Amino acid sequence: MHQKTRDELLKLFESKLSEAMRLYLETCTRCGVCTEACHVYASTGQVKHIAAYRAEIIRRLYKKYFKTRGKLWPSLSESKELTDVALEELFEAAYSCTGCRRCMVYCPFGIDTQMLMSIAKLLLIGANTEPEILTLLADTSVEKGKSIDLFKEGFLQGIKSLEKDVVKKWETEAGDTTIPVDVMGADLLYVALAGAHSIIPAAAVFNAAGENWTLSFFEAVNFGAFVGDPTKTKLILDRIINEALRLKVKEVCICECGTAFRVMKQLSGKQPFKVSSITEIHARYLKEGRIKIDPAKFNTAVTYHDPCQLARNAGVMDEPRYILGQMTEDFRDMSPDPTYNWCCGGGGGLVALGDETIDFRMKSARVKADQVKETRAKILVTACENCHTQLSDLNDHYKMNVEVKFLSSMIADALVPK
Amino acid sequence: MQTIFYIILVPMVYLAAGVFTLGTLVRIVKIFKGPKHPTTLRIYPEHKAKWLWTLYDTFCFPSVRKHKPVLWVFLVLFHAGLVLLFIGHLELIWDLSLFQVIPHEPFLGKGFVGLTLVISLLFFLFRRFSSPVRELSVPEDYYLLILLFLIVLFGSQMDWARRWYEYGELSLEDYREYFMGLITFRPELPYSTTFSGHSFMLILHVFLANLFLLFFPFSQSMHAFLSLPINKLRRG
Repeated sequence: MHQKTRDELLKLFESKLSEAMRLYLETCTRCGVCTEACHVYASTGQVKHIAAYRAEIIRRLYKKYFKTRGKLWPSLSESKELTDVALEELFEAAYSCTGCRRCMVYCPFGIDTQMLMSIAKLLLIGANTEPEILTLLADTSVEKGKSIDLFKEGFLQGIKSLEKDVVKKWETEAGDTTIPVDVMGADLLYVALAGAHSIIPAAAVFNAAGENWTLSFFEAVNFGAFVGDPTKTKLILDRIINEALRLKVKEVCICECGTAFRVMKQLSGKQPFKVSSITEIHARYLKEGRIKIDPAKFNTAVTYHDPCQLARNAGVMDEPRYILGQMTEDFRDMSPDPTYNWCCGGGGGLVALGDETIDFRMKSARVKADQVKETRAKILVTACENCHTQLSDLNDHYKMNVEVKFLSSMIADALVPK
Repeated sequence: MQTIFYIILVPMVYLAAGVFTLGTLVRIVKIFKGPKHPTTLRIYPEHKAKWLWTLYDTFCFPSVRKHKPVLWVFLVLFHAGLVLLFIGHLELIWDLSLFQVIPHEPFLGKGFVGLTLVISLLFFLFRRFSSPVRELSVPEDYYLLILLFLIVLFGSQMDWARRWYEYGELSLEDYREYFMGLITFRPELPYSTTFSGHSFMLILHVFLANLFLLFFPFSQSMHAFLSLPINKLRRG
């Protein structure tokens, strides 16, 4: 590696050294309590997938370039030079970690491996060795934010074509718009994913609840966060914030995408609008009696997979259980509980990388498949796009014999008049 | 030889104490000078009494108890033992009536605290020889444990010699005179500290403890100061 490249990468490393990051880098005692926490280690038994091992890959570079003892006595803590080989190690560590933060629950200090892996991801971007597809997707999102007028016409036409499918699920009053877009002063801005499955059921439920809502021009998913680029993450996020401010909405509702919700909820700062997940809003509608669902619609055993970014990392745990409690008499919670729930194995951009990662995703999520099978449920519900894709792949691979469903789509299917 | 003993027992102690204090302070300041993370780093569900939960996480190691109960037993014994030994060293300097609720001669525990620590340290060391902790460990981890083991072993030997083998050439008064001299910056070495049969135990104990203090701010031992703020991050 050229010295100039190394210097630039080290500047990127230094930019990540916040108070929390330094605490995470300086406190590990390598006690090994985190060993069984990672689903990849639990499924494959490979030591390189233990959280502390991943973290040491970053820590060795930190000691080499940012700690005196690493410079004076490198062998003491095995500090390591930043080389092309080190970049390969960083890639393997970062893109085999889904950022589920289960290890953080095990660690006696609460070290956040996802945070440490964000250093690895940033260095890979700096060295142009990150997964290209993630950067391309992030760039497309950023570009859409810059020139929305170019996309508007096509978007509106696409939305128009979905309206009849929404009406099939819930008939709107005459004169009401089925999928309202760009409504100034709407109460709620719904940010969906690029796909009819993310818009149709949500629209039906909003209309059934009599919500004064509007659909965002932008998709919720934040590829900047997946690839670990803080600048692009912010740009992608700002498109939605600016739209919400322009429309003067009271609430921004993020679709079933765990990362999008966590990024919006935790990174948007203090704003005049509230940020909620669609699952929280659906639970609210049910509690307030704004929608009614048929309790016998799904007359079979149902289980729920907690998306890590929604549950353990953002606190949406009770709401999906409340909704499912209204929808079936045979809800079977997974064991262990939501805080210790196994990751599906598709987070951190792995699902977005598609077939490139399918072999690893299947091998690394054996424990998730076992956890689902133990419930003996027939329907596996989740509230995250990534999780849904990964769980569907796991279903085929491990013959789990379940039907994988989105929670929002089940609600839309079970809607009945009040 | 006496000059080397003097260097170990006096100037090196001051140097070690200075490096420990200054080094620890500099490291803590450097960490907390960094910018705050813009988002919460908490894990859910959220608990209201965040500080109480943080203290619980820091001092009771609940996650270790849940996942590695045997390790937890030794961790609790080790850390509680360290506190008792620290009190014991204070009692070598001053008479602390607070700790005389149970009348005793320093140190607390009649020699068994040291023994518990020795066994705990051996456990910590040997578990690092087996996979997967072996693959996670770096040389620093072994050096620190061996260093601590030797410090505790030689320190306890002095206690055990007096209590269990009635070998009292180095009396409590001798230790106290030596310690008080250091604290008041009028260092004096009682004859027995350098010439008695057991003086090599004291010299080795102090030498190794000096090394530990010199190394402390640059090692993972800093978790003693950092585990509270880092646990607070998880609780939000």
